[in-house]
Amino acid sequence: MAQTLTNTTLAAVERALNEERDGGAQRTSVMTHVVWAPPAWLEAAERTLAGLSERHPSRTILLTPAPRRKGGLDAVVDVREFAVEGSSRCIASEVVELTLKGARAKAPGSIVTPLLITDLPVFCRWRGEPDWESPELEQLVTLVDRLVVDSSEWKGLPGAYGPLAGLFDRVAFSDIAWTRTEPWRAALAALWPDIRRIERLEVTGPQADALLLAGWLRSRLRRRPELVHRRAKTLRRLAVDGVPVEAPPGEPATASDLLSQQLDVFSRDPVYEAAVTAA
Amino acid sequence: MSTVQNPLLEGLKLRRRPEPCALVIFGASGDLTARKLFPALYALAVRRLLPERFGVIGVARTEQTTEQWAAAMEAAVKEHARDEFDDSVWATIAGGLRYVATDFADDEGQDAVAAQLNELDEERGTEGNRVYYMAVPPAAFETIVNELGERRDSAEGGARGWTRLIVEKPFGRDRASAQALNETLLCSFSEAEVFRIDHYLGKETVQNMLALRFANGIFEPIWNRQFIDHVQITVSESIGVGGRAGFYESAGAIRDIFQNHLLQLVALTAMEPPIDFTADSVRNEKVKVLRSLHTPGPKSFVRGQYGAGLVEGVEVPGYREEEGVDPDSMTETFVAAKLYVDNWRWADTPFYVRAGKRLARRETTIAIQFQRAPHPPFAEIAGDGLRPNVLLIHVQPDEGVSLAIGAKVPGQGMSIRTVHMDFLYGGAFRTGLPEAYERLILDAMLGDATLFTRADEVDEQWALVDTVIAAWQRDRPVFPNYEAGTWGPRSSDELIHRDGRSWRRH
Repeated sequence: MAQTLTNTTLAAVERALNEERDGGAQRTSVMTHVVWAPPAWLEAAERTLAGLSERHPSRTILLTPAPRRKGGLDAVVDVREFAVEGSSRCIASEVVELTLKGARAKAPGSIVTPLLITDLPVFCRWRGEPDWESPELEQLVTLVDRLVVDSSEWKGLPGAYGPLAGLFDRVAFSDIAWTRTEPWRAALAALWPDIRRIERLEVTGPQADALLLAGWLRSRLRRRPELVHRRAKTLRRLAVDGVPVEAPPGEPATASDLLSQQLDVFSRDPVYEAAVTAA
Repeated sequence: MSTVQNPLLEGLKLRRRPEPCALVIFGASGDLTARKLFPALYALAVRRLLPERFGVIGVARTEQTTEQWAAAMEAAVKEHARDEFDDSVWATIAGGLRYVATDFADDEGQDAVAAQLNELDEERGTEGNRVYYMAVPPAAFETIVNELGERRDSAEGGARGWTRLIVEKPFGRDRASAQALNETLLCSFSEAEVFRIDHYLGKETVQNMLALRFANGIFEPIWNRQFIDHVQITVSESIGVGGRAGFYESAGAIRDIFQNHLLQLVALTAMEPPIDFTADSVRNEKVKVLRSLHTPGPKSFVRGQYGAGLVEGVEVPGYREEEGVDPDSMTETFVAAKLYVDNWRWADTPFYVRAGKRLARRETTIAIQFQRAPHPPFAEIAGDGLRPNVLLIHVQPDEGVSLAIGAKVPGQGMSIRTVHMDFLYGGAFRTGLPEAYERLILDAMLGDATLFTRADEVDEQWALVDTVIAAWQRDRPVFPNYEAGTWGPRSSDELIHRDGRSWRRH
């Protein structure tokens, strides 16, 4: 059962983890998964995380900044057990939810560092648009191996792609919006060689998806097709020079599936980086 | 369409999807088709890994219509597939099913198969590409291969696409018959078109053996005679012969398991690092190991046959009392051996291997036992409790890797106990391990032969087995010589005890 700790310390969090692990299930971890989720994003983050720790056994550290509250650290510590298919054994994944109150909201690096699992990769899912100049972003960029964002959660597009590109040499990025376009990119790639002469790309979907698709075509084809964008919550229609592109088969991937895919990626994605730069 | 030509393909994680093709299964009404092949095809369909344009023609002697066969396969998928049944997925397969009831030697029947193939080409766009799956007893094999060869270049055969032939084990029953079979095959097909299945090679954990050895810098430097005391490979089953008595009576454990699965596991354990993971690079290294296997003397081999006993608390009959088995049968249901790989890396390092039916439990493991620590300063205190390190690769069940290490027991003094560090494959990668047949059927459709055995491997495997069987002809052991539910005959223990070693504790 989860332990709730109020105004606690990291030592107490570690102790609680040890106590929770006493159930006997084998701890298996492939990474430390840090989630930066401001209060407005907390519910969505928890929804996406549901079931994810089973797919990617890890230590998940959910960080919620609460800078206006009186300084301190609240924690909920849980060890979740999952049966291993075809085996009588269970494995355990650890989930630590931390509320960083007061000044601690600006110092996530020093709070997360002692909790990282040694030698395993560190992924950070950053919910919402980062404050590009903030110390918390700077600290986590220094700390993690891969930062996973979803630029469709941002309001400041395409301007926000500028500071994002400025971080490419410091940390590997994944963008859920970019991942979501992959089936459509495959559909566009199938139009080769005619697409070489594209003049106009029409996209009905989120702005980020549209900008990234256009940036991708610009960077790959070395042309500047006009982008005609119609807003929609999901990416649902593409047309090249007025001709609709056949929609990819199957249902679009869920938010959990998209994040899950990115947690298996380790290297930089130069094609994405070029698309952002050209967006 | 290469990425060089099309810059939009760069970075896209396009799944390897085979070209359009028709799969022809000879032996379509058999157990293998229902229990393994169709569940595998369904799993591939769920993951959108089957060709976009695809059809399956079932060929067997059983008189039934396409509709009846399709219904039977649908029931088989519902019972044996690892995914939940989905009508829309099944519909993608069912639309391309055809069944031909015929004797394999019957010209008219083969005409009907050819007609169905042409129909699939026209209706489903399979483009003349063929995968023939030989899920038939060896006796039917030659007839079908000859027939396919004769028709291959004819107009009816439709030779405009590519052809691949998947051959189930057993591949021959001795070296001569395997060579004859190869000659028959190679009269009509090239080696690159023949895919000899050893389904063990399709198992994720067997492939993980290559990852473990060649993707981890810590193992390869100590993977040799200097650091390894010996290797133990166990392929044990708790079940009896079931409905396979007819086949098993003439095969025995040495042909059923030792000649193929066990020797392939030896080859994967002992092989040198391949220069890349292409089919020929991997198979070149495996065949070098098989060629290096020292021809064992009679004392290095043990055979056994189970008598009645208890398995999981249930009384089970002896082999000779099983249905379809000769009451005086001399077929071995257990084989153990001490093998040596005569090369620079492994000289004088024994590989103890054993396989059998009705053993204490089902497991396939490879145990690498390292040399003892040369001078433990706490030897007196540790006593017999201090055991050598063992790297244990669990192929099935509980797929994973364990490392046995010595650790200090908490408290005063220096007491050492052996503990296991476990890596549970399904615990770290929670995607559900694909069945071996999924991987192998897909690879065959893609033309990737890495996980299939090449003719020269099969030849080397039979060369060793023929020597052993020839030696066995000279004596007549007293059978049965082990109780069901145990770890085999006493002579198996003696085989390893003679060297001052013992089989791993279970």
